[in-house]
Amino acid sequence: MSKSAVASVHQALRKNFESLESNQKLWRSTLADCSPLMESLGNLAEQTKALSNTQISSTPLRDFPDLEDRLRFKLSLAIDTVLGKLNEKMSSLQSVRDAISNQVSGVVQLYEQNTDTLDVVAVTERSATTPSIADMLEWLQDAERHYRQQFLRRKALLQTLRPDNVSLLESAPKRWTSLESPSAEDSITDALWKVSFFVESE
Amino acid sequence: MMSLKLLSVDPSDRGSQRCRLGPGLMSALGLSLGSPLLVSLPGGNCLCIAWPRADLAEGFLQIDLKCSSPRLITHPPTYLDLDPGQLTPLPCLKLKGVKITVVVQSVDFKKHTNPRLVHELVKDMLKGVRVHIKYVVNLEDFDTEIRYVVIESINLDSASAGFITSKTAVEIVGIQTVQHYKSQLEDQHTVSLGGLDEVSASLREMLQLPLLYPGTLSSLGVSCPRGVLLVGPPGVGKTLLVRRVVGEVGASLVVVRGPEVVGSRPGESEEMLRAVFAQARCAAEEGPCVLFLDELDTLCPRRVGSSAPENRLVAQLLTLMDGMDQSDRFLIVGATNRPESLDPALRRPGRFDREVIIGAPTLLQRRAILSVLCARMPLSPSVDMADLAQRTTGYVGADLSALCREAAMQAVQEITKGSGKPVVCMKHFQEALKLVRPSCLRSSLGRTELSPVSWEQIGGLEEVKLKLRQSIEWPMKYPEAFLRLGLSRPRGVLLYGPPGCAKTTLVRAASTSSHCAFLSVSGADLYSPYVGDSEKALAQLFQQARACAPCILFLDEIDSLIGSRANSHTSNSVHTRLLSVLLNEMDGVGLKTLERRGAEKVLQAEGVEENHAQDQLDYQEVCNKDVMVVAATNRPDCLDNALLRPGRLDHIIYVPPPDQQARLAVLRVCTKSMPVDVDVCLDELAAKTELYSGADLENLCKEAALLALQKENMEASTVKQTYFLQTLTKKKPSLTLTQICTYQTPLR
Repeated sequence: MSKSAVASVHQALRKNFESLESNQKLWRSTLADCSPLMESLGNLAEQTKALSNTQISSTPLRDFPDLEDRLRFKLSLAIDTVLGKLNEKMSSLQSVRDAISNQVSGVVQLYEQNTDTLDVVAVTERSATTPSIADMLEWLQDAERHYRQQFLRRKALLQTLRPDNVSLLESAPKRWTSLESPSAEDSITDALWKVSFFVESE
Repeated sequence: MMSLKLLSVDPSDRGSQRCRLGPGLMSALGLSLGSPLLVSLPGGNCLCIAWPRADLAEGFLQIDLKCSSPRLITHPPTYLDLDPGQLTPLPCLKLKGVKITVVVQSVDFKKHTNPRLVHELVKDMLKGVRVHIKYVVNLEDFDTEIRYVVIESINLDSASAGFITSKTAVEIVGIQTVQHYKSQLEDQHTVSLGGLDEVSASLREMLQLPLLYPGTLSSLGVSCPRGVLLVGPPGVGKTLLVRRVVGEVGASLVVVRGPEVVGSRPGESEEMLRAVFAQARCAAEEGPCVLFLDELDTLCPRRVGSSAPENRLVAQLLTLMDGMDQSDRFLIVGATNRPESLDPALRRPGRFDREVIIGAPTLLQRRAILSVLCARMPLSPSVDMADLAQRTTGYVGADLSALCREAAMQAVQEITKGSGKPVVCMKHFQEALKLVRPSCLRSSLGRTELSPVSWEQIGGLEEVKLKLRQSIEWPMKYPEAFLRLGLSRPRGVLLYGPPGCAKTTLVRAASTSSHCAFLSVSGADLYSPYVGDSEKALAQLFQQARACAPCILFLDEIDSLIGSRANSHTSNSVHTRLLSVLLNEMDGVGLKTLERRGAEKVLQAEGVEENHAQDQLDYQEVCNKDVMVVAATNRPDCLDNALLRPGRLDHIIYVPPPDQQARLAVLRVCTKSMPVDVDVCLDELAAKTELYSGADLENLCKEAALLALQKENMEASTVKQTYFLQTLTKKKPSLTLTQICTYQTPLR
């Protein structure tokens, strides 16, 4: 009985780790797509600031009518486009996060259904090729939490941008890159290495 | 079972709500992976989920405080040992709905962020968290502006804890900032305060009025007061009062300490001051706020010269206080014990509208303070608060708390010797009274340590003793009788008489029998080479004496201290100036406003007598709020007439040289500790010592004893009559008849 339960949980874990690996790659590539967009957002903010600092009436461009307003409109239009693109990226990040969340909660649920047959000893049993169920569940949960955190932080950053606060817009790319936490990413990669024998042992 | 060592949480576990424990303990408690677990810690409880340690070791515990009691947020538990019994499994069901308060980092975020976005973010953050009602969920690991979430209520009937899923409806009740939230948390543990009810009521009113009736105030077209200056001697509880009231009202407090604001670079101080005001303005947007400027005299001294750096700081403070507009709803409270050194521009309406003077506590206030301080002490029934309050004249709140601490320490020391529960008795307080002296007399010149003298130690002079008792002891002991007959306590007493007739000793006995503060001053204390210094010292002495009234101020040899205006040759000597100070202080126009103490009490004649002891204290407080001057001289003719009129030195008591009966009594007192021979007849000696003063008689006894030692070669065991008689022939009396005659003429 216990054997079969362990086997079914192991099976679910294997699947989970496989999808985690693919999702991780997807997450990375999407993030990589975001950084040029953020750069351009910062550029646009800088241009807006420069526009506010110049007095067009004292330059040779004063002959053009409504130049400042037109420029401002153009810039805000550009910012809008960039933000729209970023939003698309965010929704794909969200789908990655949701996929991971659903799978992890699935395996946790599977474990919870089998708690009667899987006691603490069975859960903490580990060998050279197979990490214990507790460890693997922990890694999965940690990974899920990491993606949830990452997504939330980035979302909060984008959502709190305001058109009237240029300095906030200007510092956005910097803050965006500072949100990356390589150590957490590394620990996910580590976990994937640790389970590689287990995943291939099918 | 073995105890568990609490270790700090692993960084990788932060935000996971995990509680790491050994697998053995997990199976003993019947836990599986991820089972909710309630851990009770000394400061509060914490809800987490069980997880085996990675190294499977037993005996350790690591808790991530994701969801815990509010107190654990500010005071996280440190290394301690826990009992496995402190862990209890707690079933958590899925929640349908939850009501929360969100705590965010900055006011800016609160103001500008869309509530829908906050809701969205919080809901995402809370997913998968086990929550307990009234606990705080720590969201710092998400690193956003949203720091905590307080669980106000959950949608489950019986259980107090539950599990938030993506389907749980999250309702945000309110949004606060971290600062406001933490200050509210701290306010729940404020100390209570005794004897300052009136002042705290007026402060509370100023804080609450604009909040409760904002419409009324604006329709009246008046602005509510925005500044209060608290003035009082050190230790009366100005700072504590502010903190207490702020805690009661639930306002947030921004404290400015003088030295913290002052920076080294030019302009830095002003900048910091502006930042503090901006901070207060931010805090005021969330609720009532008090900006507290402690030790205002250091921050804002009187401006002198033109380019002192302090001047700029003062000017900045003035403009900031003026620049507050009606929308800034915070109250500025300043506290100082040296109001005279403040810049006068501060003390006008519009800046500090009100000035509240907190004087040294009166008798009833002291009793209130003592009962608050002793509320949590195990007191024996022998401790009488009213009596203790009477003995602690001149003690301020800080002194009283030191007194209670000292008494408790005495009790603890007794425990270490013996055994049993510590109980603080009256004798511990008496010991403590010897060690803790009133701080408002600490720097006074008149402070004297007296060896106690009882009335019995003074032979004879029964009439004088009675008069002294009338004027000093009776007003203290029978205040209601004095009030019934419309008597008031005498302002001053003059003792005059030939030298050596126990004038000084009488005063000592009087001060011992009444529990007054006692100040004594001599010429050496007062004289100074600087013009005006002596007068200032005398005035200050009176001021201190009034601060700890009822108080006896003893001026020995007053004739040398203060001359007479009539017969002095130079009209403007130090003596006459001292005299004018004394006359003014004894019966001047009134008190300085700064010396106000307590509230003006008016006694009502009617009314049911409910509590006799309470009445007694009331009477005492009304009757004994003055300083009594006791002066002694042996040259009453040198005194100024103005000093001798009723209202200043009311009672003029002649201390006569001892008559035969009195001499006998004096001799009895002097020979009490002396082994006298059976043949010694004190009556005979008393008859033979006409014109001898008390001091002479004491000297006579001493000389006789010395003579005995001289004659009998150090082996004398008793003093014989012959020695007394021999000494008597050698010694002449120090008084003469003509001298005594001069005292007999009436003084006024």
